[in-house]
Amino acid sequence: MDGKVLILKNVTKRFGGLVAVDNLSLHVKEGQIYGLIGPNGAGKTTAFNCITGIHACEEGSITWGGEEIRSLPPHKIVQRGIVRTFQTIRLFSQMSVAENVMSGRHIKSNQNLWHGIFHTPASRKDENDNWKAVFDLLDFFDLEKYAVHTVGALAYGIQRRVEMARAMAIDPSLLILDEPAAGLNDKETLALVETIYRIREKGVTVLLIEHDMDLVMEVTEYLTVINFGGKIAEGTPDEIQKNPAVIEAYLGSEDDDF
Amino acid sequence: MMKKLQQIGYPLFFIVMALLPAVLNSRWLAVATTFVIFTIVALSQDVVLGKAGMFNMGQAMFFGLGAYTSAILNAHFGWPLLATLPLAILIPAIFGILLAGPIIHLRGDYLLVATIGFNIVFVQALQNNLGGLTGGPNGIFGLQMLSIPGMGSFQDFTPYYSALIVLLFTLFILRNLDNSKAGRALQYLREDDLAAGSIGINTRIYKIYSFALGAGIAGMAGTIYANQYSAVSPEAFDFIQSVLFFTIVIVGGSSVPGIIIGVFVMFVLPEIFRDFSTWRYFIFGFAMIFTMILRPRGIWPAKFGRIPKAFIKKG
Repeated sequence: MDGKVLILKNVTKRFGGLVAVDNLSLHVKEGQIYGLIGPNGAGKTTAFNCITGIHACEEGSITWGGEEIRSLPPHKIVQRGIVRTFQTIRLFSQMSVAENVMSGRHIKSNQNLWHGIFHTPASRKDENDNWKAVFDLLDFFDLEKYAVHTVGALAYGIQRRVEMARAMAIDPSLLILDEPAAGLNDKETLALVETIYRIREKGVTVLLIEHDMDLVMEVTEYLTVINFGGKIAEGTPDEIQKNPAVIEAYLGSEDDDF
Repeated sequence: MMKKLQQIGYPLFFIVMALLPAVLNSRWLAVATTFVIFTIVALSQDVVLGKAGMFNMGQAMFFGLGAYTSAILNAHFGWPLLATLPLAILIPAIFGILLAGPIIHLRGDYLLVATIGFNIVFVQALQNNLGGLTGGPNGIFGLQMLSIPGMGSFQDFTPYYSALIVLLFTLFILRNLDNSKAGRALQYLREDDLAAGSIGINTRIYKIYSFALGAGIAGMAGTIYANQYSAVSPEAFDFIQSVLFFTIVIVGGSSVPGIIIGVFVMFVLPEIFRDFSTWRYFIFGFAMIFTMILRPRGIWPAKFGRIPKAFIKKG
């Protein structure tokens, strides 16, 4: 099977009695920009947490290129080329932008543990190569001028970019974005759309959760809508916009009393 | 500006330290030696507490493991003290891995309590003359000290200078650590455990690694400590000592100058005010309170942005 396909089959995740993700199936093709949308509390982030190994789901299977990744810990999933960003930004806030992006190079670096005690010429070269990769990425995300700034002190929009740069630093095959436009102004959102296209041009599959409907309808090629943990619709943005179940989930049905 | 200060700061510090024995009498030379040794242990504590952010209150145990390894090999098996150094590093490091392994998933205070437990068990074992080797509550004495051939008249100063050499070596290791993948991984997992895992860092391995490295360095300091007094005894490695090392890192901050200041405040100052006997422990209390209020990240906190200069563009 092709190495770059993510398939979720009947994934279910429960928290006690609450079913957060209910029998969810997805099929994300290579090179796609895939959207996962739904009202607040629909279980989108939980679904992402299941894919990235933060939560283990109880039922179903998650395969990545034919390999079952359901019960792997987060760092092993990253090694397989799946990386995510967080809805609430999770950067290493006391450290500089460049060091934050460097963290993404961790799995690409071939230094061993003992290189932390003694460097060899090879490990110095590796160190240098990775810094170079970091600065190439900072250039890609137009962050070079912030390289030495403490990341916690930067504006929200810039922190979002740093988090994406950090994720891209691992050279992923699948990039999972959890509400990348949250808290961004219109101009920053436009730049984000641009960035997502440029990321896709690099051959990276993008899976995103987003509340900003304009953004979702513009960038995604295929969408799945979930509500109360379960899938209610899937299709291209045009199909989704006309789907009565989706309209009901977002706007309420006509006979609801307000 | 700060950079410049540090560039001249380190050589200056070592020149002053190298010349210090010329002006000190034997009591203050002993204080200076212990100051250097405690700096090494505090630096090793900083690897676990400051860099990786894990509350380890048992560093004196690893310090003691190193000291006792050297003492036992020297007293019972007749090894020269210098030859015991590799084992005095290795054995604490192995214990670090074995002990940290099962408890590493504990967070914050829970880890702290577990490490206190280890420390207390360790001292108990020493006091009960474990295997007939540790010499009970009195410890082991009459160790053969390090000596430089043909420099017999220089003997008084060897403990001090050997400690200084080990400190230099420790600083060299820590500098390598800061500029390596492993060292940065420790910083990342302190800042945000979950985020570190989500970009591919095996947090468990690196947490254990920090314990092993910290234990190894502390063990190395232990050998030098055994050399200084040509004896080891259990009370030098009890829980209160661990508290001291912990406090040094908290008060001083997670940086080399911070640690040196911390050791000075928490160890040398109480020695200077020895006449005030137990009152000097007020310094502990006040130092803690004032740093918590005024400098919550320590007197000289860690600086980030360690980026190779070649990459930084002007502007």
